[in-house]
Amino acid sequence: MSASHHSPVLKHHFEDLGQQHASERLGMWMFLATEILFFGGLFGAYTCYRLWYPTEFEYASSYMNVKFATINTVMLITSSLTMTLAIRSARIGDRAGLYRNLLITFALGTAFMVLKGFEYAHDFHEHILPGAASFGGQIKSNAEAQGIDTGKVRLFLCFYYIMTGIHGVHIIVGLGCILWLVQQTYANKIPPENYSTVEVVSLYWHLVDAIWLFLMPLLYLAGAGLKTGGGH
Amino acid sequence: MADPHTNHGATDHGHDYAKEADSPGGLFMVYVVVLGLALANVGLSSMGLGRYGLVVQLGIATVQAFFVSYYFMHLRQGDKIVLLTALASIFWVGILFVLFLSDYMTRHMVMGW
Repeated sequence: MSASHHSPVLKHHFEDLGQQHASERLGMWMFLATEILFFGGLFGAYTCYRLWYPTEFEYASSYMNVKFATINTVMLITSSLTMTLAIRSARIGDRAGLYRNLLITFALGTAFMVLKGFEYAHDFHEHILPGAASFGGQIKSNAEAQGIDTGKVRLFLCFYYIMTGIHGVHIIVGLGCILWLVQQTYANKIPPENYSTVEVVSLYWHLVDAIWLFLMPLLYLAGAGLKTGGGH
Repeated sequence: MADPHTNHGATDHGHDYAKEADSPGGLFMVYVVVLGLALANVGLSSMGLGRYGLVVQLGIATVQAFFVSYYFMHLRQGDKIVLLTALASIFWVGILFVLFLSDYMTRHMVMGW
């Protein structure tokens, strides 16, 4: 009988902590597989319309704010680093380091959403919106002047809001999980043998980061080389 | 100098969790690579990649995702079943793409779209 049977971290239905950690990782990966398929459907639909209407999609993409998106990319990648460092802190029993890394990750994720909010506000102000009545401004007038079908430009904007919106919801869920980890650390419930609790949340956070790495080129960089765009 | 908050060699009845922890230097290297690729993607796209744009951009994003999953998500030290789950998800997405793109991208051939 293993000595880890007596660990307060060990749940009763597991033989030992090694089995518990492996099960937790596998459970989260199973969930991530469903998330990958969920986003796969969105990416697939985007690919289909992008291949059908490349000119319109690249034109609409040129009105996306690449500066904001680049800053957001840097913040998300940095948050992935600090999240992984949080696992290390948990493993070596560095409670102060665990707090620090979790709080930095939380701050970066929050900053991402705040910047996203500013970006949406700017888009609203410039009438970069998919609705027939709300769509307007330069993106509409320039499209009409160039003979670009505005209906397909609005279709791109539907993808933009749905994909970034769903991604944003995932970020908010991740932030909630990180806050819970901070509370667990405060309650001294994450000793080294319970590091996998941090690791499981980190897996989700990294997936959200990896999805953004694909959203960035598809939505923001598709028209970045066009000179006719919004000039961001 | 040793960090007073650090419990080096923290063990669970003989299991040394600290020993298996990532090295900060290694993680930082991966971070630099992923960040560098992101900035390269923005820079190259701004110059205008023409018809190869989508392929180059998604190629760079795929390399970034590989680094994130292999190092940050610990696939390199994961169990075989975890690796299999990750690969299965990519395989299923592949099926999804192949089947519906083979439908939508060929409709004009049979329906005169």
